[in-house]
Amino acid sequence: MKDILRRHSVLKEEIVNAINKQIKMEAQSSAAYLAMAAWCDTRGYDNCAAHFFKQSDEERKHQMKFFRYLTDMECDAISPSIGESQHEFASLRSVFETALEAEIAVTDSIHDMVRVCRKEGDIATEEFLRWFVQEQIEEEFVARRTLELFDVLGEDKIALGMIEERVLSIEYSAEG
Amino acid sequence: MSEVLAGREELIFQTENGSLSQSDTTERFQLAFHQEELSFRVCELITFKRKLQAIDLPAMLMSENQDVEVLHMPHCDRLFVLTIQNILELKELLAGAFTMLELNSVIHRQLVRRPL
Repeated sequence: MKDILRRHSVLKEEIVNAINKQIKMEAQSSAAYLAMAAWCDTRGYDNCAAHFFKQSDEERKHQMKFFRYLTDMECDAISPSIGESQHEFASLRSVFETALEAEIAVTDSIHDMVRVCRKEGDIATEEFLRWFVQEQIEEEFVARRTLELFDVLGEDKIALGMIEERVLSIEYSAEG
Repeated sequence: MSEVLAGREELIFQTENGSLSQSDTTERFQLAFHQEELSFRVCELITFKRKLQAIDLPAMLMSENQDVEVLHMPHCDRLFVLTIQNILELKELLAGAFTMLELNSVIHRQLVRRPL
């Protein structure tokens, strides 16, 4: 008797469920960053807006990477429905605080997926997730560094102007 | 598990009112349930199982007017109108069938595909 299950559905159900959950999370993150970009843009923080537009695009790319992985493995990829994003923020600092919290939540979720892969013995998906683990180190670094600018410079108008000037130049380098 | 049916269809799992068999020729599954017979590709069968699992049975039991659940399977353009009894039977059938399919995968991995 042929092993049809293995031939046509490469991943285990637990892995497919975890990836579909992550697709939804990435879609929600992309929408949340878009709302942050809009908040910044309408208040004249053009560079911060550009930063969040870029983040929104990246989250969408992550979503598609997971989506394509499922379809490539002949598994059901579910196009997610997403809820309302937060559009109101008390200050520019609170926007970046929300962004860091969101990145930490994504990191935790990716790490949970790696644990599921180890439990299920899914070496291929664990290897696929390696890129995301690295990516989250970078994403968290940028979010944290930006937030630290508020600690260093303060939150008066001059400080916010300096943060606006620097926000696009924050990059992660593994070499330090 | 290896009972040979007509042609190259092999029975995977059977309950009182239903059975699931597999055709090695077409690589499809055949679900027989009460008087119904339906054919599924692997991904369609998994979707069907997922839809069944998503049914909120406690809510159905508590509800005063909802005693059936309607499942749509677009691949065969059919609507399943399932009672609580049907849902429990189908869940049992698919749970048993997937356990057998996974066991078949283990056998293939350990015995059939294993390099000499």
